[in-house]
This record gives sequence, C-alpha cells and structure tokens, in this order.
Amino acid sequence: MESASIAAHGHVDEHHHGPPEAHQSARIDRTVLGILLFILSEIMLFGAFFAAYFFLRVVADPDSWPPAGIELPVLIAGINTAVLISSSFTVHYALEAIKHNNHRGLKLGLTLTWLLGATFLFIQINEYIHIGFTPRDGAFGSIFFSLTGLHGAHVFVGLLLLTFANIRAYRGHFGPEQKDHLGVEVPGIYWHFVDIMWIIVFLAIYII
Amino acid sequence: MAAAIRQPGWYRGAIGLVLGAAFGFGLVVALRAISGLDVFQTEQTGYPHIVVPLITAPFGFLFGFGAFDYWFRWAAGKPTIPEDHSGHGAYSWKDYFKFNTDHKVIGTQYVVTTMIFFLIGGLLALLIRAELAQPGAQIVAANTYNGLFSTHAVVMIFLFIIPIFAGLANYVLPLMIGAPDMAFPRLNALSFWLLPIAGIIFLASFLAPGGAFDAGWTGYAPLSTGAPLGQSFFNIGVQFAGASSIATALNFLVTIITMRAPGMNLWRMPLLVWANLSTSLLVVGATPFVAGAQFMVFFDRILGMNFFNFLEGGDVISYQHIFWFYSHPAVYIMMLPGFGIVSEIISTHARKPVFGYRLMALALIGIVVLSYSVWAHHMFVAGMFDWLRVPIMITTLLIAVPTGIKVFSWLGTLFYGKIHTYSTAMLFSLAFIITFTVGGISGVMLGMIPIDIHVSDTYFVVAHIHFVLFGGSVFTIFAGIYHWFPKMTGRMYDERLGRVHFWGTVIGTWLTFIPMHWVGMDGMPRRVADYASQYGDWNLMISISAFLLGATQLVFLYNMIVSWRFGPKAGNNPWRANTIEWQVSSPPPVFNFDEIPRVVGGPYEYGTPGARHAIMGGEGEGAEIPETKPSTVTAPS
Repeated sequence: MESASIAAHGHVDEHHHGPPEAHQSARIDRTVLGILLFILSEIMLFGAFFAAYFFLRVVADPDSWPPAGIELPVLIAGINTAVLISSSFTVHYALEAIKHNNHRGLKLGLTLTWLLGATFLFIQINEYIHIGFTPRDGAFGSIFFSLTGLHGAHVFVGLLLLTFANIRAYRGHFGPEQKDHLGVEVPGIYWHFVDIMWIIVFLAIYII
Repeated sequence: MAAAIRQPGWYRGAIGLVLGAAFGFGLVVALRAISGLDVFQTEQTGYPHIVVPLITAPFGFLFGFGAFDYWFRWAAGKPTIPEDHSGHGAYSWKDYFKFNTDHKVIGTQYVVTTMIFFLIGGLLALLIRAELAQPGAQIVAANTYNGLFSTHAVVMIFLFIIPIFAGLANYVLPLMIGAPDMAFPRLNALSFWLLPIAGIIFLASFLAPGGAFDAGWTGYAPLSTGAPLGQSFFNIGVQFAGASSIATALNFLVTIITMRAPGMNLWRMPLLVWANLSTSLLVVGATPFVAGAQFMVFFDRILGMNFFNFLEGGDVISYQHIFWFYSHPAVYIMMLPGFGIVSEIISTHARKPVFGYRLMALALIGIVVLSYSVWAHHMFVAGMFDWLRVPIMITTLLIAVPTGIKVFSWLGTLFYGKIHTYSTAMLFSLAFIITFTVGGISGVMLGMIPIDIHVSDTYFVVAHIHFVLFGGSVFTIFAGIYHWFPKMTGRMYDERLGRVHFWGTVIGTWLTFIPMHWVGMDGMPRRVADYASQYGDWNLMISISAFLLGATQLVFLYNMIVSWRFGPKAGNNPWRANTIEWQVSSPPPVFNFDEIPRVVGGPYEYGTPGARHAIMGGEGEGAEIPETKPSTVTAPS
C-alpha cells in the first residue's frame, strides 16, 4: 500500500543511506500475495464455523432444521445476495477503469461498490431485528448469528477499506501502474472474497 | 511533556490503554443501562464490564504506542511520511522498547521476551512439581493446582515455543535469503507487540475472581463454557497470540517467496528457510481453527449461545474436533523450525553437506500435508465416530515416515563427518536427535489405538509431550540460541558454562521425564493434584530432578546475560558456516547489506574446495570465483 507515498523518492539523505532494494524473486506483488495469504487464513476461520455448522446440523441430528416455527426470509436474503454480488462487478469495473487511467470510472465504481456494500449491511441488520429469534435460541440461533455475523463483520471491514480507497480516489492519488493502484486492487481482492464467502454462507444457511 | 504525549511511545500508549479500557467499560455500562439490564452482571461466565475492556484496552495501547500511525495516515488519505528509516536499528537499549521495524531488533525482542515467559512457565512447572513431590496436599489447593498446570502449558506453548522460533527466524531468515528486511516491517513489529499483550492477559487471569483458567490448555467444552471468569481471559489471550503468529507466518511466506537474493532458487534455500516456509503454511492454515474454537466457547460463555450445550442442540465433541484440527498441526508448528535449526548446525559442525537435502525439504512438506489428517488421534477415548479411529491411526503412523527420513538424514550427515563438538549448539543438536527419537517412538505408541486407550490421560502422555517438546523443541531452541548468539550480539558465550548447562539439562530432562513413562503405564492420572501413595517414591525423584533441571537454566541465563555484555568478540563467522548470515559482520549492519548478495551454489557445500554459496556485494565480479551462473531465476509463485 505504498502507492500514495508522495515525494518519497525526492527524499535522499546523504548521510543516511537506506537499505538496498530487495531482489524481486517472484512475479507477484508482495502486497497482493500478502492479502491472498490473509484470505487463506480467513477461509480457514470460516471453515471452523462451517465445521461447527456440520456438527450441529448433521452429527447432532436435530428433529428439524431450522427448528419448527422458524421461517427464514429467503426472498429478502436472496435480494441481498444479488446486491452484494453486483458490487463485485462494480469494484472490478473500478480497477479496470484506473488501469486505463480513467479516474471518473474509478470514482464511479468505488462509490457504487461502497453504496451496495452499505445497503447489504443495512438490510442484514434489519433482518436481524425482525427475524424473531436470538443467538440464545438453541444451536440454530448460535450458528445462524455466528456465521452471518462473522460474514457481516467482514463486510464491515471491507467497507472500511473501500472508504479509504474512496477518499484517495477522490483526491486523485491512484494511477494506471500497478504500484500506483494497489490501494484499489487489494481492497478489491478482499471484497471479492467477502462476496464469494457470502454465496457459500447463503447456500448453507438459507437454501440447503 | 506535551510533545511526549503527542509522539507515539509509552506515554501515549499508557493514555491509550486507559482510554481503551474506559471505552470498553463505558460501552458495556451504557448498552446495559439502555437495555434495562443490571449494569454489572457477575455470573462467573459473565462479567462483561471486565471482559470487554480486556479486548479494547490492548487496542488502545497499540494505537497510543504508534502501531497504527502509518496505516491511519494512509486511511485518512494523507500523503504518507517517506520512510526515513528512523524506526530501524537499535543504537541503545531504549530502542528495544520502541515500535521498531528492524527485523533484527524484533528478533531480539522476541527472543528476550519469550525467554522471560520461559522462566515464568518454568516457575509454574516447579510449583506443580512441589505439589506433586509427595501424595496428599502440599502447597496449593486442588483448584489452584488446576490453574497452575493450565497456565504452565499455555505460557510454554503460546508464549515461548511458538514465538521464540518466530523470533530466531525473524533475526536470521532475511539475512539467510539475502533480503534487507521482512516483507512487511510494520506488520512484523505489530506481531511482536501482540505477544506481551497475550502474555499479560494469560497471567492476569490469576487475579480474576475464581482464579486462573483451569480447564487445561485444551479448554475442553463444556468444562470451559461453565468455568469461572479466568477462562474468558484464556479465550481472549489466545486470539491475540494467534493473530500474532498468523501475521508473522504471512510475513515469512511473502518474504521467502518474493525477496530471495538472485540465484537463490528453491533448491538453494537453507533448510531453516524451508522449515519456516512449511511452519508458516501450517500457521496460516491451522491457527484460525483455534481462534474459531475459542470464539465459540467465548460466545457460549458471554452471549449465551449453545454451540456446546447438549440440551439446546449443541454438540460437545465438536469442540475437540475443531480444537485439535489446529492443535495437532500446532505440534509441528512447534517442531519444524527446530528441525531447520538442527539441520543448519549439524551440517556446519560435521563439515558435510546435509545428507539427502531435497528429501529433507520434501519431508517437511510431507509433514505439513499429513499433519492436517491426524487430529482425531487425540480423541480415541472421547466418544467420537468409531469409523474415524482406524484411518486416523494409519495417518498418524504414516507421519512417522517423513519424520524418520529427517532423523536418518541427520545421522547420514554425521556419518564419516569431521564432527566438531566445541560448540554447545552442536552438543544440543546431537542430544536432540536421541531425545526426540525417544519421544517420537512413544508418539508412535500413542498413535496405536489399544495402547492409547490404556494410557489415555496418564503420565505416559505427559512424558511423551515433554520428551518431544522439551527434549525436542527446547533443545533445538537452546541449540539455535547458542549457534546464533555470536551473530546476534557480536560476542562469544562462555563455552564452559555452556557445557554445564548442556549436561545439567540433558541429565535433568531424562531423570525428570523417563520415570513419568513408568508411573503412567502403571496408571497414575495426569492433571490431578493428588495421587495414590504407591507412586510417591518415583514422584519424589521426578520432583528433585525437575528442580535440578530448573536450577541449570540459571546457568544459561547467567551465561547469556554476562556474555552479551562482557564476552570476547566473536568475529563474523566463528563456526565457518557457508550461509549468508555468517558472511556479514557480527552483529549485522543496520540494513543487512550494502548490495544484495548473489547466490551461486547450495548452502552446505562443506568439504568441496572452492565451492561458494553466495558472493557478497563489494567482492566484485571476481575471476577466481567458480561457477557463476547468470542470476536469472524464475521462481514459482
């Protein structure tokens, strides 16, 4: 995320020579590889909760799943899914735009993505309020709120990253070179992960 | 003073700590007041007004300490401050107490901090042995005893063995691969500072109402979901320690993959680098599972969820599955870096290339892959699925194959070598091979279902774990510290005291842990403060040996501290080693290299006349240097 370090190169101290430039021994950018590995560990964190889901639903073998009397709002969640998936396309559009030095497209894409993400989170919170059961209501309540809540926390973090990207986009800090738009690319990769993870959560909780 | 408060550092850190705690406390009080609940809830699984500040206060401290300053500027859209390397290098002891981004300073911080935790964990162990010296109650109540063995294990595992390997590697790994620093220096510093935070949280649980967490380091549900407040300290501390180790592992992976010197392809990497590559793969993949397991226990305790509450549809055994899916790979996280250290030392001091170098590297990868498939051998008596037992037994026994490859390769390296034993590091490495093999064999025994059922939860298990963790990991840690002490401090330790420490430690280890096998076979249960009087004699002997073992560590401590200050100058390469870290000065220059070295051969070409591993910057394109391949390397990514 060194992309916006302004005037970093103009600053050369005669007495204080810095470290030598590291040899780049792989084609992939360090920050991109870093976020990919971070996502790998995030997938495993979700994996732990999916393992719990498996035990609560399959191994513990309850009479009915979801428990009798609980009706999940599949339609609203489905619309919400569409909202989130469409935001993956807008963030991709933003990245493509800046690669072609199209700053208007970048701003448009990032703003749209942010708004779609915020809409998703807003609908999700609304759903929590009106869902009619709490985290304390049996194993189903636990896993429902844990999985969707864990995912919601990731959406929130993704929104924060997008906020930072938006601020810099509106100040014109990004450029078409890869090192100059890592601040868009890296939150973008994270955002795609959040979207794909939602599809899996949605299928596990609402559909199957 | 006012300026000191605005600058990142301890003043601002202390203020951040108080503000963070106040924020968490206020949040709980306000939310509870709004919801019409009692402001203070003091069920033993509750105490939100303590638990929430326990999470927010460390973040407040880190904000104040300056851990996030750079990222905040970036997030706010301000131009970032050009790196002037002022947070780099240590020029006085005070620099070790700052948010320093130099991998060498961080490495030293890690090693010293974890050594302090080693002493604390050791003192807890001696308290345990004092209690067990005779049948009946000696010095502590049964409840306190439970807290003692739980904190002993947690401190040793999460705050000593796992992080000290990260610390040693932090120091030498970037030098070894010819990198000026780690890939993400600020993340590196953050990973270190999360560690003392985790330690303080674990130890602070002694002050919690109800005492320290006492459900064992495994924290099995439902024992842990109903335990007193201290258990929540454990849940939270594990998150900090886990985040620290994930961040470090990620950093190692990116550094190793993208920052190797020209010419250093995968098959020219020293085995320590291979070992840390594999360890980091395990950490990134497995540690989130322990985080998940502790989150679930925490949710059950604080939010009243029902993951492990059978009456509400929860599944009790699922805790053990999720926990061991991390914690079995974790034993390799605690062992693989040691394998790397020992490979370096044995090759250097036997003056021979590592026997079967490629197979050594592949065996590491084999262990990584297999270790994900053996978790349930901890659960043979837990009442899990019957059909899972035999497959898990088979994979467990299979994992002895790559481990055996490593042991035989070390022996092959020693075979007909010019073995020099003038270094305590080599002595510890040789002792490691023997002790670890004994621990490994009892591990194979425990992998077999019938034996496991017979000795489950007895001292046999305690003997096994200490043979592999003390006789294995800790021996390699000592070996690594002795080996790189001259490089890290520029001075030589006292070899005579090193030998006293070595023999005291080896004899102490065997006398302490061998009899545990016998009382375990006889049926003495672990994790109980009292035992049948027939085990009294053996336990007295174990306790005396344990105190001998503990006292010997004081020699080590004295040797390290005094030699660091007054030892004779060590020179750049006292062991005549080939790897790159020995080709720079001791201690290394602030930025490691003036010019990135070029790697031209394998790391262990001892005994081959004229063979070179690396050509350092400033040596020029010397004509006498053989086999200088062009530095075009396309690394896999």
